[in-house]
Amino acid sequence: MSNNSILVVGGGFAGITAALEAAEVGHEVYIIETKPYLGGRVAQLNKYFPKQCPPSCGLEIQFQRIKKNPNVKFYTMADLVSVSGGPGSYDVKIKQRPRYVNNKCTACGECEKASWTKFENEFEFGLVKRKAAYKTHPFMFPMQYVVDGDRIDSSELEAIKNACQYDAVEVDDAERSFDLQVGSIVWATGWKPYELEKLETLGGGKLANVVSNMQFERLAAANGPTEGAIVRPSDKQAPKRIAFVQCAGSRDENHLNYCSYICCMASLKHVRYLREQNPDAAIVIYYIDLRTPGRYDKFKAMTCDDPKLTLVKGKVAGIVEDAGKNPIVTVEDAVSGIKSDEMFDMVVLATGMQPSTAGQQIQIGAQVDEEGFVVGGDDKGFVAAGCAKQPLDVMKTAQSGTSAALKAIQTVVGR
Amino acid sequence: MSNTVRVQPDLKFVKELQTVGGDSLKKCYQCATCSVVCPLSPADSPYPRKEMVWAQWGLKDRLVNDIDIWLCHNCGTCSDLCPRGAKPGDLLAALRNMAYRNLAPFGFIGKLMSNMGGALMLALVPAVIYLLIWSAQAAKFGTAFPLFTAGEGHGAWELAKDGQVIYGGLFPGDYFIDPIFGAAFAFMVVCFYLGIQKMLKGFDSQPRVFDLTGVKKPGMLEAFIDTLKYEVFNHTQFNDCGDDEEDKKRANGHRMLMFAFIILMFVTGTIAAGHWVGGWFLEHVLGLHIGPVELLARLGSTPLPQDSVIKVLANIGAVLMVFGLWRLTKRRQSLDPKKFGSSFYDWFLLYVIWTIALTGIGCEILRLLNIEFLAYPTYFIHLIAVFMLIAYLPWTKLGHLVYRTVALTYAKKIGRIPMGAAK
Repeated sequence: MSNNSILVVGGGFAGITAALEAAEVGHEVYIIETKPYLGGRVAQLNKYFPKQCPPSCGLEIQFQRIKKNPNVKFYTMADLVSVSGGPGSYDVKIKQRPRYVNNKCTACGECEKASWTKFENEFEFGLVKRKAAYKTHPFMFPMQYVVDGDRIDSSELEAIKNACQYDAVEVDDAERSFDLQVGSIVWATGWKPYELEKLETLGGGKLANVVSNMQFERLAAANGPTEGAIVRPSDKQAPKRIAFVQCAGSRDENHLNYCSYICCMASLKHVRYLREQNPDAAIVIYYIDLRTPGRYDKFKAMTCDDPKLTLVKGKVAGIVEDAGKNPIVTVEDAVSGIKSDEMFDMVVLATGMQPSTAGQQIQIGAQVDEEGFVVGGDDKGFVAAGCAKQPLDVMKTAQSGTSAALKAIQTVVGR
Repeated sequence: MSNTVRVQPDLKFVKELQTVGGDSLKKCYQCATCSVVCPLSPADSPYPRKEMVWAQWGLKDRLVNDIDIWLCHNCGTCSDLCPRGAKPGDLLAALRNMAYRNLAPFGFIGKLMSNMGGALMLALVPAVIYLLIWSAQAAKFGTAFPLFTAGEGHGAWELAKDGQVIYGGLFPGDYFIDPIFGAAFAFMVVCFYLGIQKMLKGFDSQPRVFDLTGVKKPGMLEAFIDTLKYEVFNHTQFNDCGDDEEDKKRANGHRMLMFAFIILMFVTGTIAAGHWVGGWFLEHVLGLHIGPVELLARLGSTPLPQDSVIKVLANIGAVLMVFGLWRLTKRRQSLDPKKFGSSFYDWFLLYVIWTIALTGIGCEILRLLNIEFLAYPTYFIHLIAVFMLIAYLPWTKLGHLVYRTVALTYAKKIGRIPMGAAK
């Protein structure tokens, strides 16, 4: 029996787009997302380049489309367990972790006040902590709290339940498994930032005022831990001298052996964030090649027309910090041939994109390259989209989602 | 107005460089990680990033006259952290190999010494010489493996059926060892002299940085003494090169091997002085037979008794040599070929010194055991290996003994590296 429904693995921008495009032409679509919310990495951004508009804008439209379309069903905190069958009739096993909160939740926040255990805030990349009952971010979709029921004791769980006046907390919630029958699968598992800790020579994860570009994004976000004030993590002071280290772990055979495509634009965007907050900040970008393809070159030209921004060709290969926790970078300016130590208030490592599933076996048995990006699979009714396939910006991710939808439809139609 | 400079790449040179060990230089994209992570590279025009771009552009003149290739002690940190696997450390090693090949006169020897086939051909020179001597002596003694007892005077040996293995009996030093090695040594010194001249001329030809600080620069002699003290004996630059355990072991192994050479050179020098000054000149020519002269003559009279101070020293030298060699060989074997290439120059030097060390120790043991059929062939190989090391020294990696010392002296003189201990 052939089946014309589609499974989308991953509820980020690529997955949502693929799901909606397919649903809006009449296909039944299931989205499974491992995190408690949809929107993926885009939800963590402060602004998109090149127009510098907030992501809530694009995501809001997508969420409205999901809400209004009965063909789209989504499961958060859900993971794919196994896939059997073939194109046209896949049998998919899915496991959903307990959220301990049902859809009666109004996001009033009483449960959060009642809980006391604190955990690292994954959404804020560890810049702050969160409670055991939490909302990942103010713009969370679905707007439904999450309780870390497995990580706290029963007394705290009871206190959380008692705090809820809408009967939304379910202390007995448990992991559940279910099967779906679909005709084709869109693989949109997206990316994760390259681990800072692996960048040993750059002091990644060790030096207080050396942050990743995604952490910087959160620092600049109005809904972030500092309410949008860009400050040094160590003393909450606004930095006056900031360095951006491009290709931190990218284009490097010892780390990620490819260009992540977006980091140069991201750093230029971050220069704009800084400039808005501090017209006098001295900024240096250390790069190998500043890659701003196509129309982004204009963005670069406009950003770099700034007397207090210096571009230095030379990759930073060592960072230490002084007693005042000021990072000191060592770099050779390849144009002048001078190697020097430069002190900054804050350093941003432009880390690259790694496929979320890097190093893991992909359940559907698709071929991945040595970096973990999916290659091929279209002929098997299995289509990769977004950053699961290659590093992309949001615009190209949307295009890739649309194209994946069409391929998925072609697989299920006419069987 | 600016003058347009047209880069004239020397493609032949680039290809030559690739064959002597710089095969991955084209992968470099000039990120400058190498210059930053190098523990020795100075702040002003650091290496090896600039050498990588010169190599890609085929700027032969810049590279062959570049002093920085001798400042590098090859810890390999640059190649380890190179994001492209371009192996800048190997490029500098390849440039040094090219210097061994081209600095000294007689280019054909350099060419032959750059591969195993050529080196074996050059080994035929000592092999044929000593084989001829051996044959002639065998004809004279009626056996190729003669045994001896002591005759009248120093170094006089008489054939005896139940005698001892005496290398000086089969190959009398006065006629076959000392003159040949003396000539080889003199040849080597002259070639080095010409090589050094070429090298210094090259350094002088490079663009200068004018120093306006007014700090007095040391003279060549002052810089040379400083180099001997801090870089040769104390290895201060070498010790700073790389900071993991393996790098420390490497510097230690190298130093041990160097001291072994110094000890063995002292031993050889003492024996030669004892023999020629004491035994020949003072005793034989001047006819002096007083205590100190006899003592000196005895020092030059081989084989030395096992309890002689010089013999003990020689044995310590041999042990140190094997130990140092062991460390350096182990390390080279454990290198990841993806990060760190080993060229013919690297292996050849290790092979030759291993051969010298093992046949040298073997000679001593086999002589004491009096196994003439093994002892003399071992001694024969030992002679060939020692000849290879001495006569062809300027064209092997051991040439760094002279070239690096000169380059570091020059570098101290012009202020490229500091006087005194590094850092």
